[in-house]
Amino acid sequence: MKYLINLFKSLLLLELFKGMTVTGKYFFARHVTVQYPEEKTPQSFRFRGLHAQRRYPNGEERCIACKLCEAVCPALAIKIEVAEREDGSRRTTQYDIDLTKCIFCGFCEESCPVDAIVETRIYEYHGENRGDLYYTKPMLLAMGDKYEEQIAMDRAADAKYR
Amino acid sequence: MINIEIDGKQIQTENGATIIEAAHQAGIAIPHFCYHKKLSIAANCRMCLVQVEKAPKPLPACATPVTEGMKVFTHSEQAVKAQQGVMEFLLVNHPLDCPICDQGGECMLQDMSVGYGGGHSRYHEEKRMVLAKDLGPLVSAEEMSRCINCTRCVRFGQEIAGQMELGQAFRGEHAEVMSFVSGTVNSELSGNMIDLCPVGALTSKPFRYKARSWELSRRRSVSAHDSLGSNLAVQTKNNRVLRVLPVENEDINECWLSDKDRFAYEGLNSAERLTRPMIKRDGQWQEVEWQAALEYAGNGLRHIANGAGAEQIGALATANSTLEELYLLQKLVRGIGSQNVDFRLRQSDFSADGKQQGAPWLGMSIADIGKADRFLIVGSFLRKDHPLLAARIRQAVKKGAQASIIHSVDDDLLMKVAHKTIVAPDALVDVLTQVSKALTAEKQGQSGSGEAAAIAKSLAGGERVTVLLGNFAQQHPQAAQLQALAQQIAALSNGKFGFLGEAANGVGGYLAQATPGANGLNASAMLATPRKAYLLLNVEAELDCANPQQAIAAMQAADLVVAMSAYKHHATDYADVLLPIAPFTETSGTFVSAEGRVQSFKGAVKPLGEARPAWKVLRVLGNLLKVEGFDQDTSEAVRDEALKGTDVAARLNNAIGGVEVKAIAAANGLQRVSEVPIYATDAVVRRSAPLQATADAAIPQAWLHSDELKKLGVQAGAMVKVSQGQGSVQLVAATDDKLPRGVARVAAGHAATAALGAMFGTITVERA
Repeated sequence: MKYLINLFKSLLLLELFKGMTVTGKYFFARHVTVQYPEEKTPQSFRFRGLHAQRRYPNGEERCIACKLCEAVCPALAIKIEVAEREDGSRRTTQYDIDLTKCIFCGFCEESCPVDAIVETRIYEYHGENRGDLYYTKPMLLAMGDKYEEQIAMDRAADAKYR
Repeated sequence: MINIEIDGKQIQTENGATIIEAAHQAGIAIPHFCYHKKLSIAANCRMCLVQVEKAPKPLPACATPVTEGMKVFTHSEQAVKAQQGVMEFLLVNHPLDCPICDQGGECMLQDMSVGYGGGHSRYHEEKRMVLAKDLGPLVSAEEMSRCINCTRCVRFGQEIAGQMELGQAFRGEHAEVMSFVSGTVNSELSGNMIDLCPVGALTSKPFRYKARSWELSRRRSVSAHDSLGSNLAVQTKNNRVLRVLPVENEDINECWLSDKDRFAYEGLNSAERLTRPMIKRDGQWQEVEWQAALEYAGNGLRHIANGAGAEQIGALATANSTLEELYLLQKLVRGIGSQNVDFRLRQSDFSADGKQQGAPWLGMSIADIGKADRFLIVGSFLRKDHPLLAARIRQAVKKGAQASIIHSVDDDLLMKVAHKTIVAPDALVDVLTQVSKALTAEKQGQSGSGEAAAIAKSLAGGERVTVLLGNFAQQHPQAAQLQALAQQIAALSNGKFGFLGEAANGVGGYLAQATPGANGLNASAMLATPRKAYLLLNVEAELDCANPQQAIAAMQAADLVVAMSAYKHHATDYADVLLPIAPFTETSGTFVSAEGRVQSFKGAVKPLGEARPAWKVLRVLGNLLKVEGFDQDTSEAVRDEALKGTDVAARLNNAIGGVEVKAIAAANGLQRVSEVPIYATDAVVRRSAPLQATADAAIPQAWLHSDELKKLGVQAGAMVKVSQGQGSVQLVAATDDKLPRGVARVAAGHAATAALGAMFGTITVERA
């Protein structure tokens, strides 16, 4: 008897129609897949991507070498050397972030008293050689210079929540 | 004893104690800035306000004495409100830029504001600004706006350092701490103001912006400079010493540190550091491997021992070397068959050898010095040679002790001196003899007149008399007689006597037996009758020896000079092998301080380059020369061997017998009086750039009484030619009318005077 029921079901292709119903439902439903890289997901202004160092509008670098980011970094990815600049101000002579160590927790940005080190929305970067992802101070400042507009907008958008 | 209650805790405390002292005894913290246990009470920061039962207003805990049955509340609503109010006012004018402040992370104000400060500032007006001050090369006052006017630095200068170099000028909002008419701070204890400053107003200039407090590793160490044996915390980062701070030890340095101990570390990484072994071949220096250098040295020594005889080998070390190094050095030299080893390079009278019952030492503990009520200080540049001992004596004098001075110069000791006798060096023995005689007479009830009698009277009136012989007395050509007389005077006044001690390991050298044996030559004889080979440990012959002319001549005449040194220096002129050794921060070792305290320490950082601890170098050299007993694995093993089975305290004894006291014929012409300037005492200090920039490290001048200058027809400030022996130098003439006539004060141990002869003796000064 059981054999006969099974035979009847398979002849009527019942299983197939069941499957096709699911397929058909999704065929007409709204698509959620993003066609990266042609399409991109929307980002929060709090997105934590590649780091950058900012300057003040007059061109002076913001970083005052307080070393709080170095101290707070849980991955020990930041290395800072300090010296007194000719004008007597406290400045970094070396500011490196090893992005292969970084876990993008955002603590450095959080701890920075002058909003110098920030995490931008950029996540599309790569390195071809060992050491390419070791970002030095000029590289970080260059990132800051390039994306300052976006960075400033994001900080402004987040300001009321901080 | 009084019973009080703090925060519900019953406490018994001494009558006359303040609330903050009682609270600290009981382990209850009361916030404070201006209060410091070693300084007088100012009560001007008001941070320590506490509530006291029955008092209508909060009271400052630092200035309120306890009374029987007092009930104190440190965390009641009234107390906390008062403390928060004070904190808010302190922060009104304090810049809120901790991230760029050097004190950030170790700041009392920062810590307290976490506990008592508000989350945000209600003050939006302009802040007070105070201009930066230049206080010299050691203390940075770049950020005087941060000052909260606690006046700790001012009180330190007045009370501990003995001179008020900083003061608070103006009133109210305009009050600021400044030096007197834009002067610098020249005290030899000035670095302590940095520690005392609760905020970032006074910070260390050499350390400025070098590192954050949380990045530094902290290692315990012992000072390698003066004979006090101050306890240090050496702070390092990336295998480099970045700062030195005191470790509190009430029996030694209390909570202070002299500038020499604090800033000498800047010399550790000097460009002059020797980092690879070097050999001179055909007049050219070559860097070689350790193996080659050690074999060269070993073969050379063996060759001379087998050829000219072992007694042609002499070993000299400074008293800044560790116990282990000195022990292995003497063991090595004795193993080769020579008895010529010595560490007392600046001593000129060795007649006490064999007559002395033990190692000369302070004769008492350092803490006892603070308790003495009569001092007789003979031949000591006290403030410069022993800054912290001088501070201790200063405190004792403040409490009523009387200090008498017998010396050849009359430098300001910044304390009340009861009596002083300033005579030429050759009259020192005579003066002490007179004091001794006057003391005998005094005991028989016959008071004499004159300075000697006055000193005797002062000593006779004391209960705890202390006779101290300074470096000048120890280096004096009649040192043994001075010692015998000091012993006599101490015995007559039922007191103690001792040596202040020249260097960190002056006592350790004796314990390590780094003194010549029965047939051996002492430091002076070894240079007077030149040897064929010299083994030098930490020695810069022209700066560390009593007679630089003689030392250099002996070195240049020698066939082989093996110099173990941390620095490349003038040894390159006369040495044949340079072996790079590690200074005290890079090696483990032991120093025995003047009071006989044995203090071992470990290295704080790794040796620079290929430098190695000297005890290891000596050990290998011993193996190469096939001397037995050179198989210690650790410096502790060497130390235990050196001090094996001996009670250190039992080996310390200043007693001396069989010394004939006789006056020497008055010298013709000028007599030289020479001190080793405070920042020229040893190799590390000489290379510390900040110390060398201080006023104390200025180029030596020829100091004479103005009558003597008139005789020469020279104006003060003019150049004079100073000659002694075969050498002469050009120095600036200066007058000091406190000097006795017939004396020229020309410092030793400095490159500018290294061409001159012995530290004592006649010297010629003429128009240049």
